Order: sequence, then C-alpha cells, then structure tokens
Amino acid sequence: KAMCSGKLQTGLLVVGYFVYLLVGAAVFQALERTAEKQEKIAAAQMKEAFLQNFTHLTVAEMEQFMKNLTEAIQNGVYPVGNESQIEDSNWDFSNSFFFAGTVVSTIGYGTLRPKTAGGQIFCVFFALFGIPLNIVFLHRVGKMLSLLCKKLGKFLYEKGMRKKKIKFLTLLFFLATGILVFLCLPSLFFQITEGWSYSEGIYFAFITLSTIGFGDYVVGKQPGRNYFSYYRTLVAIWILFGLAWIALLFNL
Amino acid sequence: VLLVAYLGYVGLGAGVLQALERPAEVQAAQHLLQQHWELLANHTCLQGPALQRLIEGIIQAYKSGITLQGNTTSLGRWDFSGSFFFSISAITTIGYGNLSPSTVAGRIFCILFALFGIPLNLVLLNEIGQLMLLGVQHCAHRLEEVFHWQKKASLLIKTCALVTGLLLFLLLPPLLFSDKEGWSYEEGFYYSFVTLSTIGFGDYVIGMNPDRTYPGWYKNVISLWILFGMAWLALVIKFCINFLE
Repeated sequence: KAMCSGKLQTGLLVVGYFVYLLVGAAVFQALERTAEKQEKIAAAQMKEAFLQNFTHLTVAEMEQFMKNLTEAIQNGVYPVGNESQIEDSNWDFSNSFFFAGTVVSTIGYGTLRPKTAGGQIFCVFFALFGIPLNIVFLHRVGKMLSLLCKKLGKFLYEKGMRKKKIKFLTLLFFLATGILVFLCLPSLFFQITEGWSYSEGIYFAFITLSTIGFGDYVVGKQPGRNYFSYYRTLVAIWILFGLAWIALLFNL
Repeated sequence: VLLVAYLGYVGLGAGVLQALERPAEVQAAQHLLQQHWELLANHTCLQGPALQRLIEGIIQAYKSGITLQGNTTSLGRWDFSGSFFFSISAITTIGYGNLSPSTVAGRIFCILFALFGIPLNLVLLNEIGQLMLLGVQHCAHRLEEVFHWQKKASLLIKTCALVTGLLLFLLLPPLLFSDKEGWSYEEGFYYSFVTLSTIGFGDYVIGMNPDRTYPGWYKNVISLWILFGMAWLALVIKFCINFLE
C-alpha cells in the first residue's frame, strides 16, 4: 500500500509539473506577445526610414550589412563608436574571470561566451569540475552564515524564549535580512551604478541569484559608463554570498 | 584553504579562456569595423551619425530578440511553443536568455513563476534521480541473483549506468542536433553539456533557426531529454561532490 501511494505521489508530481509549465507558458504568451509585435513594427519602420533617407543604398547591400552586424552582435562585438574600442576586450582578464565565475555558478549569462571550439571544449571540462567545487564551496560559506544564526538563537534561548519560537524567529530574521542585503540594497546600488530602474535591479538580482541568468541585464556592460575599478569584484562577492544564502534557505 | 582553491580554479579558467578567445574576438571586431567603413566609403552621402543610430537601433532590437533580416514576417517568438520552452528554461534555471520578458508585468510574473517553479523542479529532478538510482540497484540485485556475483556486480552495473547515461544524454544527442540544427558534433556536445548543467548561455538554442523546418515531435523530445538528462547529471555531480568532501 505504501508503494502504491508513493507511485501516486510521483505521478501527481509529474502531472503537477507539466500543468505548471503549461500555465506559465500561457501567461507569458499573453503578457509578451503584443509588446513583441510592437517592437517588430518599430524595428521594421526604423529600417524603412533609414533606407528612404539613403535611397541609393541598395536593399541587398543593406541586408548584407545587417547580416554582418547581427553576427557581430551575436559574437558579443558591439560596434558602437570607432576603432579605439578594439583595445577594450571582452576577454581581458577581469572579464574572463567574471565569465569563469558565471560558468562555475551555473548562472551563465551568455553575453560573453566562447566561440572557438577549443574554448568551448575547455568550458565543458572546466564546468564539470568547477560546478561540484562551487557547490562544496557554497556549502561551507552557508555553514558560516548559519553559525551566525545559531549564535542569535543561543542568545535568545538564554533570554528565556521557547525553542519553537526561536526557530521561527531566526528563520524570519534570516529571510528578512537576506532579502534586504541581497535583493533590496543591491538594487538601490545598481540604480546608481547602472542607471537601471529599481524594479529592473530587483529583476536582475533575482534572475542572477536564482542562477537562471538570462543575460538581458548584466553588470558592467553599459557603453559609455565609467565603473570604479573594483566594481565587478564587489558584485562577484555579492553573488557568492547571495548564492550561499539561497542554498542555506533551502536547507532550513 | 577552500577559498584559495576556489579562487585559484576560477582564475585558472579565466586565464585559459582569455588565451583561447582573445585572438578570434579581435579578428571579428576588425572585420566588422572594416565593413562599416567600407559601407560608409561606398556611399558618401551616408552620414556617420545616422549609421550609428541605425546600429544602435539594431542592437536594441537584437536584445529584444528581434532580427531584422529579410522581409519575411517570421513567426513570433512568444507563440505557445516558444513560451512553453521559455517556462522550462526559467524553472530549470537554465535561462537561455535568447527570449526574455520585456514587459514589466512579464518580469514580475517571471519572478513569481520561478520562485515556486524552481523548488518544484528540484523536487521533480530529485524524484527522477531516485527512480534512476533504484532502477540501477534493482538491476544490480537481479544480476547478483542470476550470476551469483558478489561485489563485482554492483561496480559493473554502476559503470554501465554511467556509460549508458553518457551515451544517451551527452554523446548521442549531438548527432541528432547536427542533423536537425546543422551544428558540428562539437557544438552539439557543448550545447548538451551547457544545457544539462543549467548554465545555459543561450548562444546555441534548439529550434531557433528560421531557415530550418523542425518535425512536430522535436521540441517535446528535447524537453524530455532535458528533464532526464538534468536528473542524471545531477546524480553524477552529487557523486563528484561526495568524492570531493
């Protein structure tokens, strides 16, 4: 009888999972479809307007240029400005370090990615050992954070509070401070450094810390902005502790 | 000590990748710049600033997932099949990013959707992983009974399971991809690993080529592959972690 209910549970889980996906798909479609249509129209209009202004530019040449441009963008080369931009590389050490970090944490923004076959193969093996290393590392950091929580619990216990209440309060405290430190405050910070709106900052913070990492928002990528030298390192530290916090949250 | 090892590892990776990717990048940038200036030279009435604005506009559109090639009104990305695939990429935390919500409502929903979807996904993957493990142990027991091996059977079965998993999830799918997507085998392998480990760069995504036709079963089979493949890879990584700790 126990096995039967176990199988039933698994079955329900599978069904629930797919229903969840279907519902999500429908909602996303409803929310995004019209906006997408508008953007397409705007983009086509822009193209039209440009061609009209420069009538001797043949459509074929235009298409070719667009194709090359799109390919370049896909490769992470943004041709805004002139030659001096070649000096700034996407693959200088600090950017490569950030990239390696996004691989090992499985965030994987994708704005920077290896193009060469050698780079791709190396990436696979690098991740194969790096991901377990990252998980073990986060585990340790999480343990350090939980020690702090235990100290708080001990303090409250000595003040004469009941154990159940302590557990509830420490969980609440952990959750609240975490949300403040890892979601709310960084979003304020990003408002200043990146020029994003507050809600865009929250969206970025969530997508990063959940390791989804769409890559539509990435730190330090706005052209024409000056970032102070340890900006990326600071953000990397934030990501690390934020991930450890989330991992711990799952354990609690 | 762990911290040092971790940072060292990431630094090492950074160095290697930099060495591998930098030359290709410089080449691509120079190539594009050359074309840019060629275009301007060929059409002297084309003003630099206007072209700049166009380029920026194209970049903006690209980031929203729109490519401006040809006149064809290509299928929208947010049709049901695309949205379904997006939902998967969100709750498995793969997060390709080739498609991402641009409306505020879409983003808020995305956060909430993922907040409950990710734990749901983890629970399901755990279940599938456990079932796989049980299946392997079951086989090992059967072998022990039939052939009267003792400890050898367990090791043999575990290696067999690892190899089958490797074939099924990492080594054979690239062949399918090279047929349906036109990628090289190495690219297919790279895509498989990046997807199943949930890194999900989004540089390669299945079913996104407008010049190709895909059979009806394609995306569904791939979704199943992602699910089982992720569960298998999670088990493998768990074993790696146990080994490390």
